[in-house]
Amino acid sequence: MSQATMPDFSSSVKLKYVKLGYQYLVNHFLSLLLIPIMAIIAVELLRMGPEDILNVWNSLHFDIVQVLCSSFLVIFISTVYFMSKPRTVYLVDYSCYKPPVTCRVPFATFMEHSRLILKDSPKSVEFQMRILERSGLGEETCLPPAIHYIPPTPTMDEARSEAQMVIFTAMDDLFKKTGLLPKDIDILIVNCSLFSPTPSLSAMVINKYKLRSNIKSFNLSGMGCSAGLISVDLARDLLQVHPNSNAVIVSTEIITPNYYKGNERAMLLPNCLFRMGSAAILMSNRRSDRWRAKYKLCHLVRTHRGADDKSFYCVYEQEDREGKIGINLSKDLMAIAGEALKANITTIGPLVLPASEQLLFLLSLIGRKIFNLKWKPYIPDFKLAFEHFCIHAGGRAVIDELQKNLQLSGEHVEASRMTLHRFGNTSSSSLWYELCYIESKGRMRRGDRVWQIAFGSGFKCNSAVWKCNRTIKTPKDGPWSDCIDRYPVFIPEVVKL
Amino acid sequence: MDILCILSSLLILYLIFKIWKHIDSKRDQNCYILDYQCHKPSDDRMLSTQISGEIIRRNKHLRLNEYKFLLKAIVSSGIGEQTYAPRIYFEGREESPTIQDALSEMEEFYIDTIEKLLKRNKLKPKDIDVLVVNVSMLNSTPSLSARIIKHYKMREDVKVFNLTAMGCSASVISIDIVKNIFKTYKNKLALVVTSESLSPNWYSGNNRSMILANCLFRSGGCAVLLTNKRCLSGRAMFKLKCLVRTHHGAREDSFNACVQKEDELGRVGVHLDKTLPKAATRAFVDNLKVITPKILPVTELFRFMLSLLLKKHRRSPSKGSTSNVAQAAPKAGINFKTGIDHFCIHTGGKAVIDAIGYSLDLTEYDLEPARMTLHRFGNTSASSLWYVLGYMEAKKRLKRGDRVFMISFGAGFKCNSCVWEVVRDLSVGECLGNVWNHCIDQYPPKSLLNPFLEKYGWIREEEDADTFKFRT
Repeated sequence: MSQATMPDFSSSVKLKYVKLGYQYLVNHFLSLLLIPIMAIIAVELLRMGPEDILNVWNSLHFDIVQVLCSSFLVIFISTVYFMSKPRTVYLVDYSCYKPPVTCRVPFATFMEHSRLILKDSPKSVEFQMRILERSGLGEETCLPPAIHYIPPTPTMDEARSEAQMVIFTAMDDLFKKTGLLPKDIDILIVNCSLFSPTPSLSAMVINKYKLRSNIKSFNLSGMGCSAGLISVDLARDLLQVHPNSNAVIVSTEIITPNYYKGNERAMLLPNCLFRMGSAAILMSNRRSDRWRAKYKLCHLVRTHRGADDKSFYCVYEQEDREGKIGINLSKDLMAIAGEALKANITTIGPLVLPASEQLLFLLSLIGRKIFNLKWKPYIPDFKLAFEHFCIHAGGRAVIDELQKNLQLSGEHVEASRMTLHRFGNTSSSSLWYELCYIESKGRMRRGDRVWQIAFGSGFKCNSAVWKCNRTIKTPKDGPWSDCIDRYPVFIPEVVKL
Repeated sequence: MDILCILSSLLILYLIFKIWKHIDSKRDQNCYILDYQCHKPSDDRMLSTQISGEIIRRNKHLRLNEYKFLLKAIVSSGIGEQTYAPRIYFEGREESPTIQDALSEMEEFYIDTIEKLLKRNKLKPKDIDVLVVNVSMLNSTPSLSARIIKHYKMREDVKVFNLTAMGCSASVISIDIVKNIFKTYKNKLALVVTSESLSPNWYSGNNRSMILANCLFRSGGCAVLLTNKRCLSGRAMFKLKCLVRTHHGAREDSFNACVQKEDELGRVGVHLDKTLPKAATRAFVDNLKVITPKILPVTELFRFMLSLLLKKHRRSPSKGSTSNVAQAAPKAGINFKTGIDHFCIHTGGKAVIDAIGYSLDLTEYDLEPARMTLHRFGNTSASSLWYVLGYMEAKKRLKRGDRVFMISFGAGFKCNSCVWEVVRDLSVGECLGNVWNHCIDQYPPKSLLNPFLEKYGWIREEEDADTFKFRT
């Protein structure tokens, strides 16, 4: 790898290491002080022979009061220690929405609709065909019912009914899987980027399931495909503050109101890629859920590149020349995604890489900067830190770019590619479909670490690190249950249409 | 013996250290308002009676009945002559807004307020750790929070949340997020930006329950700086005491009280149902039930319980006793002034303020800030609470130790409230940047009569809808 690919990686990481070391020293000062004391005591004990130790033991006056006091102290201290640790946040279970077969949009249907709707601009139709050929999508992706009409009927009512269909089905499934009662939900976070009616989607969920009146609900929107991890971040922060609580996160994207009806090419791209999907996730910090939880949240890092103008404008909602609203994806999307990922990696690297990798990186850094040796900058191997990777299925190009940057093998990105093929780009919920794929393939074992990376408009790069809590049996139901045996499929570069 | 002594003393020292750290961390969990800045749009956006009349007339779908209804609504709204509207209303383009209009409206607001706020407090955008933006009716890609980050070049690791569709109570929800983050993370500075987007939400039809929203909402917004840094607590204005959220979405009638939907002809508007006041009252009562024990002194609570028991005892033996429990807006029977000094009521409309005043048994002095805000700035949705607070500050009512009770309602139906304690004496010195500074001496005005009645009162006499013609 040439030096140009990772420009400011080294300097920012160097500072972070110094900071980390200093923080470690100061935070554990007292504990570090105890080490020499323990060492002295151990040396003393070793110097004295076994008889001397017996004499010392006999000479101790075992006052009942002293014994009680010291044992009480020990118990008290251990309680205080355990209580002051930050609460572990678990992912108990999650469920992904499987759209009905009637909503399927094979290539033939999509192109036929495209030709009829865009009959005045054959060049745009051809553009869409080229995109679809190279998209990496399969024949089973789904669009909501309103979009199947010619022309599509994106009314607010239809959008609401799509929201109800995808969200309620996923939540019903989640309730069935976990045995959770609606009235036991303490926190509800709903994220849907492009559709936010009044009352909010979170209020709609509260209304349908008759949730408690003191529920803490939040409705995030406009945060793009990375909003799922932003919701997880908010849930984690809330679960640190509220003991014995659980949180339900609903991640979805409602396609109906956002189907671009014009013929501007850059804005037709989302039509080809975005598909219907949603996921409902149950998180908890209860000790009792420790045994049945699937994953434990280890780290979550958010990076926002909005300060950079180019990053900001790369996913932009605007009106075209005829006043039709659509989302413009810039050509620099890949480069910007790569840069955002690098910014994210510099923060998460020190947290997850094993000591060996960090040491190697430090050594190569010292060698290059201090001794000016002509070594190549060492790129840490993230495959040593994680067993599974869930890269947001934003599009084929995104997955290719990340595979190259992180030096991953085909098997590592298989979950992302297959999710893109089977479900399309379902925005914030795609990470959960990918996780479900890995579980359905029976690859998830206890102790495995998963890295979820998502990108979003703005430009954001968020990543979460989960640790598998128990070996997960292949699920009998779920979005992949009927087709997992057909996967992985070989996806050609170009599917001739 | 000595070894045991050493070990015990070491353990005791460690225990004391841990307890001290625990207490120390609790001190850093307070949520302080460092400063806030409300937005006063430029005077060329002032909505006078004349212009309001013109705007109403531009809507070709309205007939005599709708005009009568509107007149009644506007006259009884309590809104004055100096409220602000988005620019496209003045340009005649309210029925065909573009995305750029909505974004410019928001830009005008946040560039003005955040600039003033940061400059006054000598802070840089890079110092902000948490950003929460809540604008109910605007959903853009990238989000408004991303736009703010881009404009001010904030840090990469800023924690940002963009809330939408949570109605007029969204600022209290944003404060809730910030409060929770402050409990986990130390030494943080948060910026809450709250506003409402009117440009893309003009209703161009004639469904009565939907045109009401057109007349009541006005432009406005606020940016609030919050912190849990101990070093800044000396400069802080308010400290959060408690925050309670109540959500009545489980009830069908509450949920459907305020819904954004399409009318019969497919035009999108916000439907305000007739049952909205009842839903609001129910949610308010439930919210009070939870927050009252947290904010009132024990003596008052005992007195209230005693009086309740006596009332029940008195009612059961007698037959024709007047029971004032079965009223639509029940009196609380509890004296809130024992625990609260100032009341910040969401300026949802004159009816809302009157209802809350009645149920909490408040005087005109208590309701004055809310009424004056409604008159001067109209219903600015989520940010209205901060304008009311600004009025109290400008009138020099806020003394150290005073408690301010903020009540807000939102679609869904929610009632969120919180109590702030005044940390610094705000009744001396000038309040820099207060939106009321230029006109506080004119308030309260002698008459709150709406000039609409004078100018358009003749509509009430018109009977024939078919031959009706608008007279200028």
